[in-house]
Amino acid sequence: MNTKVDWVQLIIVVVIFAGVTAMGFMAARWRRTGNLDTLDEWGLGGRGFGTFITWFLLGGDLYTAYTFIAVPAAMYATGAISGFFAVPYTIVAYPIVFVFMARLWSVSHRHGYVTPADFVQGRYGSKLLSLAVAVTGILALMPYIALQLVGMQAVFETMGLGGNNTLAKDLPLLIAFAVLAAYTYSSGLRAPAMIAFVKDFLIYIVILVAIFYLPHVLGGWDAIFHAAQDKMAKPNQVTGKPTGSFIPTDAGYVSYWTLGLGSAMALFMYPHSVTAVLSTKTRNVVRRNAAILPAYSLLLGLLALLGFMAIKANVNVKGLDGLANPQLAIPRLFDQEFPSWFAGIAFAAIAVGALVPAAIMSIAAANLFTRNIYRAFIKPSATPAQEAKVSKLASLLVKVGALVFVLGMDKTIALNLQLLGGIWILQTFPAIVVGLYTRWFHRYALLAGWAVAMVFGTVSAYNVVNPATKKHFGGSLANIPFTHTPAYIALTAFVINVIVVVVLTFVLRAAKVADGQDTTHPSDYTADRGDPGVADVIEPAKS
Amino acid sequence: MSRLSAIRPVYWISGVLLVVAVVVPLLVPTYAKKDPHLWGFPFFYWYQLLWVFLSAILVSISYRLLRAEERRRRAEQGLGDPEKDGDQ
Repeated sequence: MNTKVDWVQLIIVVVIFAGVTAMGFMAARWRRTGNLDTLDEWGLGGRGFGTFITWFLLGGDLYTAYTFIAVPAAMYATGAISGFFAVPYTIVAYPIVFVFMARLWSVSHRHGYVTPADFVQGRYGSKLLSLAVAVTGILALMPYIALQLVGMQAVFETMGLGGNNTLAKDLPLLIAFAVLAAYTYSSGLRAPAMIAFVKDFLIYIVILVAIFYLPHVLGGWDAIFHAAQDKMAKPNQVTGKPTGSFIPTDAGYVSYWTLGLGSAMALFMYPHSVTAVLSTKTRNVVRRNAAILPAYSLLLGLLALLGFMAIKANVNVKGLDGLANPQLAIPRLFDQEFPSWFAGIAFAAIAVGALVPAAIMSIAAANLFTRNIYRAFIKPSATPAQEAKVSKLASLLVKVGALVFVLGMDKTIALNLQLLGGIWILQTFPAIVVGLYTRWFHRYALLAGWAVAMVFGTVSAYNVVNPATKKHFGGSLANIPFTHTPAYIALTAFVINVIVVVVLTFVLRAAKVADGQDTTHPSDYTADRGDPGVADVIEPAKS
Repeated sequence: MSRLSAIRPVYWISGVLLVVAVVVPLLVPTYAKKDPHLWGFPFFYWYQLLWVFLSAILVSISYRLLRAEERRRRAEQGLGDPEKDGDQ
């Protein structure tokens, strides 16, 4: 229990936080091309980021505070299947992205698309399908933003911030969030792009130090793995089954690879990933990044192992409410094993690590609302300046929504909520990715497949009951229908989705049901910067 | 098959490399074991971390192959170099 405030840690965190905040406001003038009054500017940073900036931006975007807290927490609590799958997941994500993302870049730049739903609208000529994709994106982003807050909260709690009443307990979070909202509003995507440099740098330092220093204090890797193995083999007091899995057995193989593949396919369906990709200057920036982003995957693997170190170090994970909370494993590990000043840097890294993705996610959700709900249904005649204004306001609303989410929910389900988001977002894959290659799928078939899979996925997830707490949404694995093999619900739902789409496409084509107008041209999918019809980036004014 | 045979070998090679990079790390039965250990790491853990590097190498090779192909195609169509003014 930590009820005393650790001043050294607090001062370091506040100083770094203040520095980052200043950067966030200054970012409005970074690589300036003109006014911030269009979505291309505010929401995509001027669409001119090169490989170097994009590497930091995507790294900061994809490897979030959730990663920092929840992956090791899952390793700490139940071992490999719930935590270490993140490694194959982030390994196989990049080859997948490499294949289709350049095409999305090209068609989006030729047509000025800002969101994945914009592309769906242009390709299928269906407002409904586009709305489905947009709503799914917003739904999936909300818990994800909330998760960033959970990460911050765990840090603040470990530093000893948190009083007896709700206001004092959540005050640091409210302040951090108000600041984030303010600079996102004023600088748009440039703010997280700039802050990402600081964040990634801090995180690399912290992890590398932890990986070399902690095994040295804890008696070596061998001892760490043994401690983990012993814990996972111990029967759970409630269910009598082993606590977790140290190395997956036959029964866990399918769970492990479906979690990896399903998450990998979902990763770049998330609107915030697409936002970062569309902010790049040329078609090949994203491909180059697919080859160099795995540096972060290595980091993630090492990070996951910190969860095992927390087992060996025997950290106390009781929260302020007296209940065990695995999310506290990593902050407590740093608090316990490192000098105050270094723990302070680590906590700052996590807190800043929450800000970058939260900013990009709120921008992505705001763009979806503006383009695919506001402009599509409410005000088709919206000017670029009006779009930017609506997006700015929407980004504030999204953050407030996430805040309500986090203050009113049970924190132990943070990881599972994010996994529920993953179940939803993967259902947009047929419309987006298959749409980049062929127009064969019928728009209504895609809509039906999406709807069936969304319902199936949500119901399946609801029916997973945590044996210890008896709560629903107890996990992301359920038996594949008609079998006894547990698999990742998202991927099962995706297979059902594709089957429905294919069958209905045949039916609808046979019945000659009208399909939408495709406004894209085959040459759009290979277009690059400087080609006719591709809006060129405005070069940043030399200062 | 006429459409398939029209695909250039470069695309075939890249495709195969990328499929390997996606499929092999997901073949859990091939690595769900403890031995051999490496620096105290059970096989299951170090083997997956090793694939981070292997996958990055495979993607890099694909990228180089495709970029050469793309440049050739753009030159044929008389399109300019999109990266003429640096990339940061």
